[in-house]
Amino acid sequence: MSDVPRPLKIAGQSVRRRDLVEKVTGAAEYCVDVTMPGMLHAKVVRSDRAHARILEINTGEALAHRGVVAVVTAADLKPLFPRFGHIIADHWILASGKVRYYGEPVALVVAESLADATDAAELVRVDYDDLPAVLDAEEALAAGAALVHEESYPATADDSFKILAGGVHETDASVEDRPTNLAHEVTLEWGDVDQAFADAAVVVESQAGYPMLYAYAMEPYNAVASYGDGELRVVSTAQHPYMVREDLARVFGLPLAKVRVIAPYLGGGYGSKSYTKVEPLAALGSWVTRRPVKLVLDIEESIYTTRVDSAQVQVRSAFAADGTILARAFDIVMDSGAYADNSPLVLAKCVNRCFGPYRVPNLRVRGRSVYTNTAPASSYRGFGAPQGNLAGETNLDRAAEQLGIDPADIRRRNLVAKGESLLPGKRGMDAELVADLDMVVASLERDRRDEPGYGIGFGCAASDAGAFPVSTAQVRIQTDGSVTVLSGSTEMGQGSRSLLAQVAAEELGVDLDQVAVVQSDTAITPYERTTGASRTTTLVGLALQRACADARAKIRQMAAEVAGVSPESVADAPGGVELPDGSTAGFGDVVQRWFGGSAGEVTGIGLLRREGPTQEMPPFWEIGMVGVGVDVDLETGHVVVDQLVTVADVGFAVNPKAVEGQDLGAATQGLGAALYEELVYDGPQLVNANVVDYRVPRMGDLPRKIDLMLAERRDGVGPYGAKGAGEGTLNPIGGAVAAAVARAVGRWPTRLPLTPERVWRLANGIEEDD
Amino acid sequence: MLPRFDLLRPTTVAEAVGCLSEESVPYCGGTELLLAMRAGLYRPSALVDIKRVPELRGIRLRDGVLSIGAATSHRVVALDALVRGQLPMLATVEQGVGNARVRAQGSVGGNLCFAEPKSDLATALVAYEASVSLTSAGGTREVLVSELIQGAYFADKEPDELLVSIEIPLPGDHDAVYLKYQTMERPTVGVAVMNDRSGRRCRVVVGAVGEVPVVWEGTDPSEVVPDEIAELVDPVVDLTGSARYKRHVTAVYVRRALRALEGSHPS
Repeated sequence: MSDVPRPLKIAGQSVRRRDLVEKVTGAAEYCVDVTMPGMLHAKVVRSDRAHARILEINTGEALAHRGVVAVVTAADLKPLFPRFGHIIADHWILASGKVRYYGEPVALVVAESLADATDAAELVRVDYDDLPAVLDAEEALAAGAALVHEESYPATADDSFKILAGGVHETDASVEDRPTNLAHEVTLEWGDVDQAFADAAVVVESQAGYPMLYAYAMEPYNAVASYGDGELRVVSTAQHPYMVREDLARVFGLPLAKVRVIAPYLGGGYGSKSYTKVEPLAALGSWVTRRPVKLVLDIEESIYTTRVDSAQVQVRSAFAADGTILARAFDIVMDSGAYADNSPLVLAKCVNRCFGPYRVPNLRVRGRSVYTNTAPASSYRGFGAPQGNLAGETNLDRAAEQLGIDPADIRRRNLVAKGESLLPGKRGMDAELVADLDMVVASLERDRRDEPGYGIGFGCAASDAGAFPVSTAQVRIQTDGSVTVLSGSTEMGQGSRSLLAQVAAEELGVDLDQVAVVQSDTAITPYERTTGASRTTTLVGLALQRACADARAKIRQMAAEVAGVSPESVADAPGGVELPDGSTAGFGDVVQRWFGGSAGEVTGIGLLRREGPTQEMPPFWEIGMVGVGVDVDLETGHVVVDQLVTVADVGFAVNPKAVEGQDLGAATQGLGAALYEELVYDGPQLVNANVVDYRVPRMGDLPRKIDLMLAERRDGVGPYGAKGAGEGTLNPIGGAVAAAVARAVGRWPTRLPLTPERVWRLANGIEEDD
Repeated sequence: MLPRFDLLRPTTVAEAVGCLSEESVPYCGGTELLLAMRAGLYRPSALVDIKRVPELRGIRLRDGVLSIGAATSHRVVALDALVRGQLPMLATVEQGVGNARVRAQGSVGGNLCFAEPKSDLATALVAYEASVSLTSAGGTREVLVSELIQGAYFADKEPDELLVSIEIPLPGDHDAVYLKYQTMERPTVGVAVMNDRSGRRCRVVVGAVGEVPVVWEGTDPSEVVPDEIAELVDPVVDLTGSARYKRHVTAVYVRRALRALEGSHPS
């Protein structure tokens, strides 16, 4: 391998998605398509109250129903470890003793048909004794509030959480002696904040509310599980099959090798399918009945399974007269629902990301993740960044207005430079943020209209990617020189199957159509920590490059043995090797000749951990740079997005079309929270837990002008200088829309989504309750 | 998932009417009925599939009355030459109902029987002073659409009655517009204005905002005071807005509808 960069042939090309045709024609296999011999069907009996003691569960009538094989309750959990949760194992598989939110699983009816299970589920009688409920974070934090959890749970042994969460001065106050509704608390502080505020020319105070959301993967959670002979096999809609495997192994007391988790194509993830969801329920059903059990949730059940943390954020910032940031202080309260799931990490990331990619000499952030008697919250695309960024960017825009400084200039003045530290002890900034911002502003200004009701807004974000660098990959070189790539990373629509094929083809010098990619089967594909934090291109890409290099080294060795020359004299060639005599041999030739006959195979292995280029955390900064122009109907408050401008600062786009698609998708998802989406609780129950009343962006909502730009400066640690993409663009959309609307109507909003009525009230100065 | 039910498939109106009861209900497009059944809100023991009854389909003009068979889909109405020629506003309304799947699948009769308060069609038909023909074993009766729609999801139709057709008396020299304000899956407010110049009558109908369409009648559009019409409506508070906001946008859309009416004036 020489140090001279070779021209790239396949990486950098906008190749067609591998899954395109089968997904469009409906031939693609999703989890819901998977059946197992002798399979039963399960239906979950759910709590119809927010907080109540379970007095009795009467299963007799349900058990007598036609086709019912078992009715599983918490009593069946006795021989098992009854909870899951990778940070705090607080999540009961079935409610035990009490229910903590409307929709919580109380029992599982397992029957010969789904119709039987569904009918019988209505016959399970649960007697409750209602408890006082805390339905929002403010209530939950009040003195004397009812407790969602009376006990505290020991943290799991996974210390990567701390490394991922890490700001250097972070404190962790999650486990207290006296239980409260505080699921987790994080603080981050440096400098002398109070002094800086005292010295400031201008102090700007603002608040921002980020709505409770549903990630809205088109495919609801589902799984099919089979337990038998001390082995568990689960096919599920899991982004992270290896993490699910750990939870299941703990629940059932099985060796990791005896738990097999398979994730076929996912119908969207967006973080909502990170970590364990319905797998323990399906597995429990099978453990009780000793037959395979399939569990498919509907949309309403999925919404009650995992939602997005809502957040209330208070911000104070101190500025010099020229707009230089002197200090910032944030107070973040997240409503994390009844169980912690991944919310502690979402909170930690929100704390790290709320103040933006700016030089902040004095900083104080306090973040609290709060238990409430509502559906549990967990990961969501952007990971705490959308919640925090909205607050920070809106505050900065308001400061620019107060100081009479152009909102782009105040950002240029404060953005960290390339290589500069943003979080102490972390990797320096690996991007050119001012250059990115200039691209956004230039595009936006080109089509800006000076009309009443028109406004532009833009925003910047940089996320310390929560991509923990543990990744493995394998390539198997076949006797005809074709290549099988094995990866535990999940294809969930983001296009990793194409990308991994491109990297392997590039590294081995074979045609793209000679590469097959197999993903996400813990019995077959090698370990991958997660498919999240926009990690795949960078981390799996590096592991795969190493696997290709390993395969090449083995093949050179074998070619040398066969030809009777020294291994050092054998060089790499596209799709094979070059021997000292100048002749070449393809991979297949070498494999066949070494094994003899037309048999054999060579496996290359790539391992990645925290060392070398991936020693420093984060492995890359995920950048978000966006701008919007909006038209507001001043009579109704209805907002139409006229312009959308994004810059994908990805270092190198392995598949440029795919990067653009990810950016447009992330931006559109961000527009959902900015303008339309919000889960609304009325008492213990959601009023819009369905696809009609939970309004997501539609084709007709797409901006009239869409300018998706790439900034490729080869400044990432990933293959060919690549960095992660797919989430960054979502993060600053909320703040950009808020600023654009504020400039269109003359007042600053304090919460999203900016529904027509809210914008109309804002424009006319009418309070929300008036 | 759908609960179990029997499926009956009559081929004549008489046969269909014979199948109907409290527990045995007409089924055509299923765009409302099947959703309600899937959600567990409604469990009839039998569905009477009326799609195979030819008398319930088609659009005819008879003695100055346009008659639309109850099983006719929104899409067919929207594209029908008679409708487009005689009642262009109705064609526009039907072109904008729900989404493409609902328009292809949903029937006009089902839409009215369900009495969905956000129905565009009901608002438009009230503006035209249309009526429906209801048949049971005991005979047939005509009911104005404005009287059929009694409340939210409540139509004046007995379980043994079948809605056979919609009857729209053709107005003479007239202009009509329908404008709706829609930001979610269903409209927040729909305003139909029907100005019958030959009869010196003007009707403004406001639907979707309350449980039932509200009607204002006068002789000329110049008499309409949008803010007064906004006071007539009784808004249902939901995720699309508060009562105050819905009254406000009602006035805005009445104003816009009147402006559109002026613009639509034939030369």
